[in-house]
Amino acid sequence: MIKINDLHKSFGDNQVLKGISEQINHGEVVSVIGPSGSGKSTFLRCINLLEQPTQGEIIIDGQSITAAGACVDNLRQKVGMVFQNFNLFPHKTVKQNITLAPVKLKLMTQAQADIEAMALLEQVGLKEKADAYPSSLSGGQKQRVAIARALAMKPELMLFDEPTSALDPEMVGDVLDVMKSLAQKGMTMVIVTHEMGFARDVSDRVIFMDGGVIVEQNEPEALFSNPQEARTQAFLSKVLR
Amino acid sequence: MIDAINTSLFTPIGEDGLIGIYLILNGLKVTLIVTFFAMIIGSILGVATTLMKMSSKWYLRWPANFYVSVIRGTPVVVQLVILYFIVLAALDVDKITAAVIAFGLNSGAYISEIIRAGIQAVDKGQMEAARSLGLSQAATMKEVILPQAIKNILPSLGNEFIVLLKETAVIGFIGGVDLMRAGEIIRSRTFEDSVPLFTCALIYLLLTYIFTFMLSKFETRLKQSD
Repeated sequence: MIKINDLHKSFGDNQVLKGISEQINHGEVVSVIGPSGSGKSTFLRCINLLEQPTQGEIIIDGQSITAAGACVDNLRQKVGMVFQNFNLFPHKTVKQNITLAPVKLKLMTQAQADIEAMALLEQVGLKEKADAYPSSLSGGQKQRVAIARALAMKPELMLFDEPTSALDPEMVGDVLDVMKSLAQKGMTMVIVTHEMGFARDVSDRVIFMDGGVIVEQNEPEALFSNPQEARTQAFLSKVLR
Repeated sequence: MIDAINTSLFTPIGEDGLIGIYLILNGLKVTLIVTFFAMIIGSILGVATTLMKMSSKWYLRWPANFYVSVIRGTPVVVQLVILYFIVLAALDVDKITAAVIAFGLNSGAYISEIIRAGIQAVDKGQMEAARSLGLSQAATMKEVILPQAIKNILPSLGNEFIVLLKETAVIGFIGGVDLMRAGEIIRSRTFEDSVPLFTCALIYLLLTYIFTFMLSKFETRLKQSD
């Protein structure tokens, strides 16, 4: 579904991604783990061009999105993104947050979008918050709304950029449950996370990144219990205690 | 004290039979007219300049940046005098119109900076979230960024209008008779200092007070929508 060839990204002199090639298949759930500064968030942000790659190619459904003249807005409609800091629109209600994009992009009428929004809110367990403003929600609730908002575009692929890192510990479970059910429904997902337990339970494949490259990847059981590379072993021995 | 008030404001202050309070009221009228129209010109220019500054095309960005740095880097009174005595000298423009143009130009530069700062103060994640949903740059601006920026912009904009009102007190430099200049004329003819000057100061204070009051009402109403 996505094919990434030799992806490079630099910020000035700072080379963050040093050649990443990867393929993510339809319905696959891939977790990306690694120390901070390893480039895993940048990698994710390149996939929907929030960061413009310095070099390399990204192909989604056979279409190159990095080619000159590629329609980035159309691509982004197919790729949902969930951010660490939720980024809900504070001046809009929960329901308006969810319906804004589908209605503005003329994919649905307001009435259709409202029905869809209520269904999505039910799915993430926040139906009663439809008319609340984001400022009145807890972090965990905000993130679940953000997931619903991304799902409203009916994306083929969902990107999660450390979705639980900004949450109080007791909120993490609710968000992970929503993501888990999404994975079970067959959504293709790429998740940058520090939740090793979650990566182990839910992913089909875990990628370990360090220093701007993919050091090692494997099925979760194999990667966590039997890491091959020294850097992976060192990282896991620090985080799995 | 009563005598001084009478002499300065309510008895003829020269052989032409001019009465101080009329002079002051006419000056007040000029001050308000110049402020009002300069506000309108400044707002239009401010929005236009902001759009130019945010453009990706250098030939739009460059003149806008130049305009803002020239206006911000020179005193408004210098701009007023140059505009009236040099730029508009050949065009036979009256003093009030010249003042409106000068203060409008001046205010436009500051307003564009206020709008720019207001837009930049909106969290970067808002733009990213909207774009990641597939909204275009323009739709993101209209639906997500500007509605939030406006709340940052309005208080500073109100402040800018208050500054503008007070800055018009230099209209006398081109011979226009505004509130301040009216006070000065009375002072030079009656040799009374306190009454005309304090009268002017009091009127400025009153005007800005009323304006601040209206603004705070407006802001309270905006906050209710949060």
